[in-house]
Amino acid sequence: MTVLLELDAVSKSYGATEVLRPTSLEVKDGEFLTILGPSGSGKTTILRLVGGFARPTAGRIRFDGADVTNVPTHKRPFNTVFQDYALFPHMNVARNVGYGLMLRRRPKREIENRVAETLEVVGLSGMLDRYPSQLSGGQRQRVALARALVCDPRLILLDEPLAALDAGLRRQMQLFLKSLQRQVRTTFLFVTHDQEEATTMSDRIVVMNVGHIEQIGTPRDIYYAPASRFVAEFFGDNNILGGTISDGRLQCALGAFPAPPALVEGSAALAAIRPEKVRLGTAAEPADIVFTAAVIDVVFAGAITQVLLRPNASPEAIITAKLTSGAAIGSLAPDASVEVRIAREDAVILPAASP
Amino acid sequence: MATRGERIFDIFLWLLAGLVFVVLYAPVAISALFSIVEVRRGDILWETATLEWYARLWQNQSIMDAIRLTLVVGATSVVLSAMLAVALALYVTREDALGRRFIELAVYLPFLLPPIVTGLALLMFFSQVGVSRGAVAVIIGHGAFVLAVIYRLVVTRLQSLPASLVEASSDLGATRWQTFRHVLWPQIAPAVVTGSILALALSFDETLITSFLAGNEMTLPIRLWAMMRVGFTPEINALVTVVLLVSIALTIVIGLRLRAGGRE
Ligand SMILES: Nc1ncnc2c1ncn2[C@@H]1O[C@H](COP(=O)(O)OP(=O)(O)OP(=O)(O)O)[C@@H](O)[C@H]1O
Ligand SMILES: [Mg+2]
Repeated sequence: MTVLLELDAVSKSYGATEVLRPTSLEVKDGEFLTILGPSGSGKTTILRLVGGFARPTAGRIRFDGADVTNVPTHKRPFNTVFQDYALFPHMNVARNVGYGLMLRRRPKREIENRVAETLEVVGLSGMLDRYPSQLSGGQRQRVALARALVCDPRLILLDEPLAALDAGLRRQMQLFLKSLQRQVRTTFLFVTHDQEEATTMSDRIVVMNVGHIEQIGTPRDIYYAPASRFVAEFFGDNNILGGTISDGRLQCALGAFPAPPALVEGSAALAAIRPEKVRLGTAAEPADIVFTAAVIDVVFAGAITQVLLRPNASPEAIITAKLTSGAAIGSLAPDASVEVRIAREDAVILPAASP
Repeated sequence: MATRGERIFDIFLWLLAGLVFVVLYAPVAISALFSIVEVRRGDILWETATLEWYARLWQNQSIMDAIRLTLVVGATSVVLSAMLAVALALYVTREDALGRRFIELAVYLPFLLPPIVTGLALLMFFSQVGVSRGAVAVIIGHGAFVLAVIYRLVVTRLQSLPASLVEASSDLGATRWQTFRHVLWPQIAPAVVTGSILALALSFDETLITSFLAGNEMTLPIRLWAMMRVGFTPEINALVTVVLLVSIALTIVIGLRLRAGGRE
């Protein structure tokens, strides 16, 4: 796949505060790329720089090989779906969606046809005459999407477009957006702070921490091989066990794991363990760490039951286990003593300090 | 449920409002009455009731001239300052505006200073730059005076719009001018109209600044002022009534528009 959009050491400062450190990023033609990060990490900043609503302090932005760093917004060949939708309140749906084509001085007939087609794609046919104030949140969302799609941009920027919707509608819109993106083959640059949303929708995810990128990869890469403690904790609630490297092993209070050779002897490191990889009971499966722990709480959540554990050897480290619900787990009582097993292949060993 | 105390308080408020209303509008009623009937030794002579004085106003050339000048001054100064107010408001609400505070000060000062100071300052300025007293000076003076009102309403409206509207418009390919024409203007037009009516009402009965700048020309309030020095006639009462009715009508329109705007 060719590179469609390229950020080359782009940074942004407001006064003396650098809200985006020099950041490089390539968006490939046709992919669904999600920028994921906590509030204030600079996700919107990146999108605004790409959209041309703000100018980078340093660095270049290239689109399809051409430098667009100083190209004004209205000449950039991509469109944005705003978090607040930004529909024009005095225009009906037809005029909102047709706005971009009207500016391009397309013939009236063509505008009407394109608007009708696009509204059909987003499932809003027959709403041409409604005003934004007469639409539901989900419908406004779709109008905003149609307004961006109608100009046939090669890249669409979406800033938390689903944040204002309730959970059910959100799930529905996630699936819709994903299938729409496949259908129209447009590149989507999507921003969210919702890890699950990012996982289900994206081809690749960019995980951001305050002002910089922590990791770029497919949802699988990031899920199974977080590159830093921040990613491990933010992306999927990993359990973190701290320790030091000695004899090529990560020694922590609960036991030791073989460590990758890249980690220096004596340095601080940690193991990130996904909650669903923490096993309970005495089944004689091979495990690298075995310890006893007291049950603090058992939280039933349908198919999954979450068990909070306090290891006897290290009472301050709370371990979370996510287990398939069943009779055995249902009968676990608080304060019960259980045997906990963790296998080496289920732990990701990382240096303690972010690289 | 309203308690007894609350009900008494409500009645008190209504009485107070009624009193204020009477005090404010009694002069209007009295002028209107005296413009129609004769009063001799405290007795209203109903049999003298006539609209003759209004007809005389119509035939009085100097009064008609004053009305014409008032309308020309009002229309011209309001249109000019509306355009300036919109331009300034658009500039000041931009994120990268320079000298925002200075501009606001310059806009508000002629309105907030005592009219005598504004009038004198304008007079001195005009004589420096060689603008002689007369209609043009009055138009510029009224324009400077009413600018603040239109500006304030337009800025408030612009600030209440989400920044993303302008961004969305340029994102879809609109130049600055196109964004103004298709997105901003439809949003601020009601505020411009309300501000202009308010400005028209202010210009209509502005007297002090005008008296400095008018020279030999006379707007309606100045004409009235000049007539009253000679003595009170039923004709003056008729003219006062006309002025008051126009002012009240404009005020009602403004009030209705502001309320409708607030409901949006
Ligand atoms: N115009 C501005 N002036 C100064 N600081 C700003 C400005 N815009 C953003 N920032 C700062 O830049 C940082 C990143 O902001 P940004 O909006 O990119 O965060 P975000 O990742 O989108 O967060 P959220 O999830 O809350 O939307 C924040 O600390 C914010 O305060
Ligand atoms: Mg944001």
